[in-house]
Amino acid sequence: MNDLYKALDDISSIRRQMASTTVFRGYGPATLAATGVFAALAAGVQAIWLPDPGNHISIYLSIWITTAVASAALTGVQMYTRTRRIHSGLSNEMLRMAVVQFLPSAGAGLLVTIVFLRYVPFAVWMLPGLWQVIFSLGVFSSCRFLPKPMIAAGAWYLLTGLSCFAAGGSRALSPWTMGIAYGVGQLLVAAILFFHAEENLDEI
Amino acid sequence: MKSKVSSSEGRFAYEGLDRVIHERARLSILTSLVTNPKGLTFNDLKQLCALTDGNLSRHLNVLEKGKMVEILKGHERNRPQTVCRITPPGRKRYLEYLSTLEQVIRDAAKETKSEPAGNPIRGLTPSRA
Repeated sequence: MNDLYKALDDISSIRRQMASTTVFRGYGPATLAATGVFAALAAGVQAIWLPDPGNHISIYLSIWITTAVASAALTGVQMYTRTRRIHSGLSNEMLRMAVVQFLPSAGAGLLVTIVFLRYVPFAVWMLPGLWQVIFSLGVFSSCRFLPKPMIAAGAWYLLTGLSCFAAGGSRALSPWTMGIAYGVGQLLVAAILFFHAEENLDEI
Repeated sequence: MKSKVSSSEGRFAYEGLDRVIHERARLSILTSLVTNPKGLTFNDLKQLCALTDGNLSRHLNVLEKGKMVEILKGHERNRPQTVCRITPPGRKRYLEYLSTLEQVIRDAAKETKSEPAGNPIRGLTPSRA
């Protein structure tokens, strides 16, 4: 009986090893482009209805957290169905790896937001920059399983995050610090995935 | 009883156990290559699979004919070098084989679990000899 379980473990470990050397194709370019559009729309909403975000931080956070949740939900559902279709034999391993790569960043982003709101509300202007820097780390850690140029997307988010810190104060809460960073960034990610989809067409 | 058999007809047929892969040497060659997608040299593959030159060539030939591996001949530091690499259809077939093999083991584990402890082989009585 133990031999049978050991054999199953061996098969799982072969699968994991295969997954670790396979380019992940679960992220759909169209979906990621759509999340970029979401970011641009959220920036538009903020620009129209929230001229002074520094004094209405809860509304500011509501706009961007709603956008993040909607984007994550759309990406998650699409990633699940696409991975099942494209990586049929390795789908569980590929999904697990994709989630493991990005989850620490998402968790860190959430915890940083809670801690800043609870303990250092006067420094909330730093949140957009921190979100972008943490997001860039998530992109960098996922680069190993994505097309190589994806490093440019990670660099973009790092640069925009640092620019937010450089802007400082209420300027960092301007709708376009988030709108441009995520709007352009997600379109860049989508373009990289789109133009590198052909060469990995035969991957499992 | 007949209907019970017919309802589970083909349950243990395991059509996915590809005959080309289902051979010890070829299975070890493919497993080595699938975990090294950039390819392995002939010598590395020979050592990993504990095969002789002749045996490895013969099995690689079978896999190449089945379009599961590609053999690239070139030079490294002025020495001839043969690199073997798994092809995308080879990866696909290997994964299908792996899924079927996993199913075989799961079925065996399920059957072993459901056996009563005192009667290890169903329908057979121990010999008195």
